[in-house]
Amino acid sequence: MIGLKSTLNVIDNSGALIVECVNVLKNKVNNGWGSVGDEIVVVVQKARPVSAAAQASVNAVKVRQGDVRRAVIVRTRKPVRRPDGSYIRFDDNAAVLLNNKREMLGTRIGGIVSADLRLKGWGKIVSLAPRVV
Amino acid sequence: MRIEKCYFCSTNVYPGHGTAFVRNDAKVFRFCTSKCHKNFKMKRNPRKVRWTKAFRKAAGKEMTIDSTIEFEKRRNVPVRYDRELVQTTIKAMKRVGEIKARRERVFFKHRMAASREKQKAHRKKALEAVKSKSSVKLLEPVSTTTEKEKIKVPVKAKSALIQGEGRSMGMEID
Repeated sequence: MIGLKSTLNVIDNSGALIVECVNVLKNKVNNGWGSVGDEIVVVVQKARPVSAAAQASVNAVKVRQGDVRRAVIVRTRKPVRRPDGSYIRFDDNAAVLLNNKREMLGTRIGGIVSADLRLKGWGKIVSLAPRVV
Repeated sequence: MRIEKCYFCSTNVYPGHGTAFVRNDAKVFRFCTSKCHKNFKMKRNPRKVRWTKAFRKAAGKEMTIDSTIEFEKRRNVPVRYDRELVQTTIKAMKRVGEIKARRERVFFKHRMAASREKQKAHRKKALEAVKSKSSVKLLEPVSTTTEKEKIKVPVKAKSALIQGEGRSMGMEID
């Protein structure tokens, strides 16, 4: 259940660490609350510090504090129903940042993601994740 | 498809039942019911909660060392489907279940016998402690029913061997 003002951990290497949700993009069923696999708009609250040398290089840290970005939710504390009827919940809320074309901003994912992502069309994220549960 | 065990009470969790909690180190905790989930959230140790399998095993209330338990195990090597194998496995499951049930019954009997003796000894000890400590003399158990002399009524011994009390059983024919 991600809504306005929810904070999420960022588990990719885009440079953001903590983001705050400011909007949940509408789909037919979410009723204003975001769950695993939903797209949201976030504000970067905390990012990894940017050094001058790193900025010049190719794989520079891409986001700064205060940036507004799209993101997709990959884990929620709220139990999510699986197609077989069982429920699954995680330790925290986590997201992965996206660009305007719904592609990942980072290149790596560090941390587990929910297997429900694949059903919702985020196969790329699932394939990058070290563990899928 | 796999039948999982509940993390808290160790009962079977069939597909579509229960909740799973995934810790950030990717360890999965499965729970059969909200009861087990809540107990987990309360940070209770299943070994210290009396109704769980873990407690019963730890406290010696159930069989722990037995060859019948070895059959039910999590195996991570997939077995190629074989019709014959499935048939024999199902047959074996029934048989193993029977044997297990019988052994459990014997185990229970032994456990109860031991505990009865222990209880008896404990009661005896407690009684003696009270007797020696208290100045009040305990009343000796007196039977309330005064012994009555039983009046014996001579009962005629009926024997099935003697036919019709000496008479012949045959039909009387003129």
